[in-house]
Amino acid sequence: MSGLISDLNVGVQSLLVSTQAMNVTTTNIANMNTPGYARRRVIIEQAPSTGDDSAIGVDVKSVESLRDNILDLSINAATSRQRFSSTVSSSLSTIELSFSDTASGSIGSTVDAFFSSLQSLSTTPADSSLRSSVLTAAGNVATAFQKTASAVADTQQQMDRCVVQDTASINSILQQIAATNTVISQASNIGQSANDAQDQQSALLTELSALIDFKTINSSDGLTLTTSNGTSLIVGSKAYLLTNALNANGFNDVYAGGVDITSTIQGGSLAGELQTRDETLATMNTQLDQFAFQFAQAVNNVQAAGSDANGSTGAAMFDPPDTTSGTSTGAASSMKVSLTRGSQIAAAASGGASGDNSNIAKMIALQNQSIVNGATPSTAFSNLSYYIGNTISQANTEATATTSILTQLKNQQGSVEGVSLDEEASNLLLYQRAFQAAAKVISTIDTLMGNILDMGANNPGY
Amino acid sequence: MRVNPNYTDTLVNLLNQSQQNQTNALQELSTGRSVSKPSDDPSAEAAMIAANSRFAANDQYTANSDSLTQVLSTADSTLSSAVTILQRAISLGVEGANGTMNQTNLNSIAQEVSGIKDQMLSIANTSYAGQYLFAGTATGTAPYVVDATDSTTIDYVGNDQQNQVQVGTGLSVGANLPGSSIFSQSGANVFTALQSLITALRAGDSSAIATAQAGVSNSLDALNTARVFYGNTVNELTSNESVLSQEKVKIADYQNTLVSCDTATATTDVAQAVYQRNATVAAAAKMNQVSLLDYIK
Repeated sequence: MSGLISDLNVGVQSLLVSTQAMNVTTTNIANMNTPGYARRRVIIEQAPSTGDDSAIGVDVKSVESLRDNILDLSINAATSRQRFSSTVSSSLSTIELSFSDTASGSIGSTVDAFFSSLQSLSTTPADSSLRSSVLTAAGNVATAFQKTASAVADTQQQMDRCVVQDTASINSILQQIAATNTVISQASNIGQSANDAQDQQSALLTELSALIDFKTINSSDGLTLTTSNGTSLIVGSKAYLLTNALNANGFNDVYAGGVDITSTIQGGSLAGELQTRDETLATMNTQLDQFAFQFAQAVNNVQAAGSDANGSTGAAMFDPPDTTSGTSTGAASSMKVSLTRGSQIAAAASGGASGDNSNIAKMIALQNQSIVNGATPSTAFSNLSYYIGNTISQANTEATATTSILTQLKNQQGSVEGVSLDEEASNLLLYQRAFQAAAKVISTIDTLMGNILDMGANNPGY
Repeated sequence: MRVNPNYTDTLVNLLNQSQQNQTNALQELSTGRSVSKPSDDPSAEAAMIAANSRFAANDQYTANSDSLTQVLSTADSTLSSAVTILQRAISLGVEGANGTMNQTNLNSIAQEVSGIKDQMLSIANTSYAGQYLFAGTATGTAPYVVDATDSTTIDYVGNDQQNQVQVGTGLSVGANLPGSSIFSQSGANVFTALQSLITALRAGDSSAIATAQAGVSNSLDALNTARVFYGNTVNELTSNESVLSQEKVKIADYQNTLVSCDTATATTDVAQAVYQRNATVAAAAKMNQVSLLDYIK
């Protein structure tokens, strides 16, 4: 009888194990599309022997998550790089159109048109309609500088707002990760698995990697998260949130624990926004200002060397520059034509007759002189076009490359962590058969035990 | 090795890619350009901008040539009428010098020469589009005026300046010839010569008439020599315009090689992308229609 009872126990154990295994299969199927979810597997082992080796039961040793931590880290790093590049590329895509060779009203085309109008005037320097055309062309140049400079400034402002929004999103994710840390360490303290919290944490880390690059260290009290230069973001259950503070340029810098980490952020959309705002567009801004300043200064100098239609010394055509201050800051955004009448154009050499064009010839000559940071005006514009085009093109190349790396990594991750319905179905089949078999064993033993009990009942003398 | 059961990411990527290829090829075909923004090809765009400048300058040089040709042709045809009337003055001088005419006839000849002198003044003060053609660069005022104290003397109040106008890279031509190099050259002043003829005719002095007539001939020679400038410059401008139009073709060719789209390739690209997309969609629709789960009872 004792043999039958231990068989019964083994049968019941077997039923329970099969049920739990089917639970895991159900969980896998239910979560096949859950972000961060890694498929689970029941680890089944022989139950410890009770001394009777003829009936050894079965036990669930653990339910394990098939998570590949190294792969997850690589995916997060690739996500950071990919988002950095795609942010750089998309944030500059509106600006670059102002620097295309076909853009109407671009700095390049208006400067060309300005020199053309001067050329026309040189054939008939006293013609008042040609003089007016020069002023119109000069006005178009000033407008082009203003429009381009304000487009650059607008995008910088927009990037700055994105930096603030991203900081808030990062903080929200950091708090959630810290909360999962708490759950994980509590579970591990009482020897339980924390697969759910791990899955959640993994999804949150991927989300975070799209925003900012970070480093992780697994420690006894969960995951420790730091910025790429080692400033703590999460230690145990405590999240050290990022803050923003205005810098000298009026833009928001990013601080972690009171330390300015702006320049150390290398990945994620935040890094893309910072690079666009503080490097690419800041450079464009300076270059545009210098371009506007030096161009205007060169034209004004020629004006001052000649005589206008009334015989007076030529007044400055453009404003700024303020030649006395000599600073170019803000020159592009505030550029305007200060002459009001065509007659004020100093076409003639100083003291020259009304039909003299020799000063106009000097102004025309500026077209081929290196007056803008060692380049001609046209080359200066094409340099800017190349700079922005190349920045975007490099970011695009990088984004394409990291996207295919990411796809590859995700494929690998899927092959390890992804839920396969066929696999789950075959498992289900397997556990169903085991369950049926165990049930059969139990009912067989039940019958046998009944038979034995019946034996006693039919023999009253026993 | 276990296969990634989740193929949707890959599928979406593939579909995105073929969609992107279609859009790109379509844009190339519709714009005729393979480069439409700086990031498509930064170097090509920078070169395009430089080429655009050269193109605009070329157009402008052509426009300058056209307008100069008009002004110079006008001046030249004006001078040809000056030549005609001077020739008439010379033949009148020859008539007056042969000694067969009485004073009344000489006076009427003098009257005609005086008319020629007035015409010559009007010719020398010709303006084009409000600008005096022979005033040097002082084009705002008539260059020849009757002297305030001596009404028979004509004074030049223009200057000796010549404007240079650019008509090509590093190529400039003179845009005008001052009257002082045409009508009032020193030693060959048309007005002085005509006035001497008038005075000699009125005095009835045959030898003085002959001398004065020689003086008019002399100034005609000088005027003809000056006219060479106009003819030469107009010729130069004409040949320059053909050089400019050749350059323009070269610049346009160069721009084409930089950014133009190869229609054949782009068309093939569209076809390829469409085919790829159709194949991907068709394959995706057929994938995993049957699952093991269907067979579990």
